[in-house]
Amino acid sequence: MSNYCLKDARVIDPSQNLDKTLDLTVANGVITFGSAGDSMESIDCRGKIIMPGMIDIRGHLHEPENLSSASNAAASGGYTTILIMSNIGAPADNAGIVHLMREKASKDSTIQILQCGCLTKASQGKVLAPLGSLKEAGVVAVSDCPSSPQNTEIFARGLEYASMFELPVIEFPRDLAISTRGVAHDGPFSLKMGIGGYPRMAEELFVQRAITVCKNLCTRIHLTSISSAGSVELIREAKSKGIMVTADTTAHHLALTDERLMGYNTNSKTMPPLREESDRLAILEGIKDETIDCISSAHEPCQKHEKEVEFDLAPAGAIGYETALSVVFEQLSQSVKDPFPLIAKTMSLNPSRILKVKSKIAEGKRANLFVFDPSVSWTYKVDEGKSAAQNSPYENMEMKGSVLMTFSNGEKVFSIS
Amino acid sequence: MSLEELTSDEIECILRQAAKFKYETSNPECQTDYLKGKRVVNLFLEPSTRTRIAFEIAAKSLCADVISISGKSSSLTKGETLKDTALNVQALGADLIVVRHSSPGSPLFLSRTIDVPIINAGDGAHEHPSQGLLDIFTLRENIGCLEGKKITILGDILFSRVARSNLWGLKKLGAEVTLAGPSTLVPRQFEEMGVQVSHDLRESLVDADAVMLLRIQHERQSSSHFPSLSEYTKMFGLNAARSKWMKPNAIILHPGPINRGVEIDSELADSKRAVILDQVKNGIAVRMAILYLCAQNSEGYSKNV
Repeated sequence: MSNYCLKDARVIDPSQNLDKTLDLTVANGVITFGSAGDSMESIDCRGKIIMPGMIDIRGHLHEPENLSSASNAAASGGYTTILIMSNIGAPADNAGIVHLMREKASKDSTIQILQCGCLTKASQGKVLAPLGSLKEAGVVAVSDCPSSPQNTEIFARGLEYASMFELPVIEFPRDLAISTRGVAHDGPFSLKMGIGGYPRMAEELFVQRAITVCKNLCTRIHLTSISSAGSVELIREAKSKGIMVTADTTAHHLALTDERLMGYNTNSKTMPPLREESDRLAILEGIKDETIDCISSAHEPCQKHEKEVEFDLAPAGAIGYETALSVVFEQLSQSVKDPFPLIAKTMSLNPSRILKVKSKIAEGKRANLFVFDPSVSWTYKVDEGKSAAQNSPYENMEMKGSVLMTFSNGEKVFSIS
Repeated sequence: MSLEELTSDEIECILRQAAKFKYETSNPECQTDYLKGKRVVNLFLEPSTRTRIAFEIAAKSLCADVISISGKSSSLTKGETLKDTALNVQALGADLIVVRHSSPGSPLFLSRTIDVPIINAGDGAHEHPSQGLLDIFTLRENIGCLEGKKITILGDILFSRVARSNLWGLKKLGAEVTLAGPSTLVPRQFEEMGVQVSHDLRESLVDADAVMLLRIQHERQSSSHFPSLSEYTKMFGLNAARSKWMKPNAIILHPGPINRGVEIDSELADSKRAVILDQVKNGIAVRMAILYLCAQNSEGYSKNV
């Protein structure tokens, strides 16, 4: 194992209010501050940022992606931990599949892979999944994302039951009855293009439901992939009343709007759909005032041929591990003078608290961190990416800032060539 | 592809060509074998009678070879994707492909996939440009220049590709467009496209120079858009009594197929006001113009209409 001295980097770790320029050494995988010894590679990190490895709170693993390509893509984007949602094809609703998945992840992955179990069996919303057994098998959270139990009784019982194990429930707020046919935000563009609308209301109703259930049962909930301004407002109000709700949005929803769908671009078809500029701005405000706790990559790979079909028949989803950080950096830079503390919070610290995993840069700890150069820009090309999938809405777009190096569990798992 | 992207000059150009063809086809001494040796493929993946036949007759009138493929007889029922079907049709030597599909945007998707010019013959609830053009052609024959004219489109706007094509086309030629019908089928958001929205039948009829009725498309709606067909007829159906609210010379259009007794009563559909069969006839000349201009363009400049 090589040893590295990262000189003169700005090291940020909001978990311990650390934000200063120093030399950080990774020797035998362990962090020490200050430079030490000669037998190591010294890297000039002036103007570069070191932050705790990012933790993704929503990602999916579908063909053509596998654990190896997913972890390589994530590592190159600054992630050291990713949460994988239950797959519809092989739902994580029994201990056996969770064991299998974890065993495979430990072999094929260079970073930490966390498994999210189902809240209900096969995420069908009808019968609760065996949450206790799933927790014992190693899931860190449960969710039916990108669906939601439509039956409020099942939903409420699930929250109540999961709270016994302190198992976080991640709710994807979606009223299916008014969004079943929806493939795009119900707005001027979908109307013009003649495609079925997925209204804000479908999300907001279930955000309100989650808040009401949490308030009455005194449980926690995490709402994922918030896309509408109304939801941000509801969550802000709930938090002000002390209701134990946390929330994330996705990098796509922070950067893109439904205008992207013009020309029926299936790679901009996401779940939930991209919404309007007013929503995007409300989400940005929500991030700034900490109504929205986390920003996920919402990485959702699809095969090329699956996306090369009619718009309404194409599956929703866009990849995001390799672009999330640059996209978020660019968006936050426009309205926050120094976006890095906020990035470290929303993309590492807050997800670590919700999922109860570690995120810390401290002496004597194994290195889980990445080096970021904010001064460079580059053009994203899916062909050159590490993900096995190509369904990105950012093809050929200019990306701001770049990850230079990522350490996971003390190992260097990525460095830019 | 769509009337949204055409300029008023381009629309005029197609309509002029259509007028020429209408004249030529009614004169036996005129030859119209402009597409001789060309192969036109009608790829109709959603049921259609009027449009398919009109395109077939139009292509045959131009002496093109016409091959029609319907959803049921194509390999799509065997699991082939639209992209592959189109690549095969291209490989088989099509010079023009006319596409009807239930998915909005699919002709655009095909035009990005293959090099053969694609003509949109209706894509889901997006657009139906040839219908929009023939409606405009028929309107002009009957009420003259459209500048400042008030046109009301009544019925199921939300799911209607005909309404969308017409509203773009009519606006580009200077007409004032009102969309009317129940609030669940005519959302206010249409106003952002520069048209008026009315949920009051009488109000929408009194000023109109022409009323374009649309079929209630049961197949596209979920059950909750309005309570029942009879309620629709009662609230928004056009009948002889209500037609008296209209200006005396105002005409009635309908793209067909009509549901007699639902959106229009039988007597009115057969009356002098209704120009429904003129629309069908004009459909041939307009589609001849589209085929002809697309074939010409494919040899020259821009690719799609």
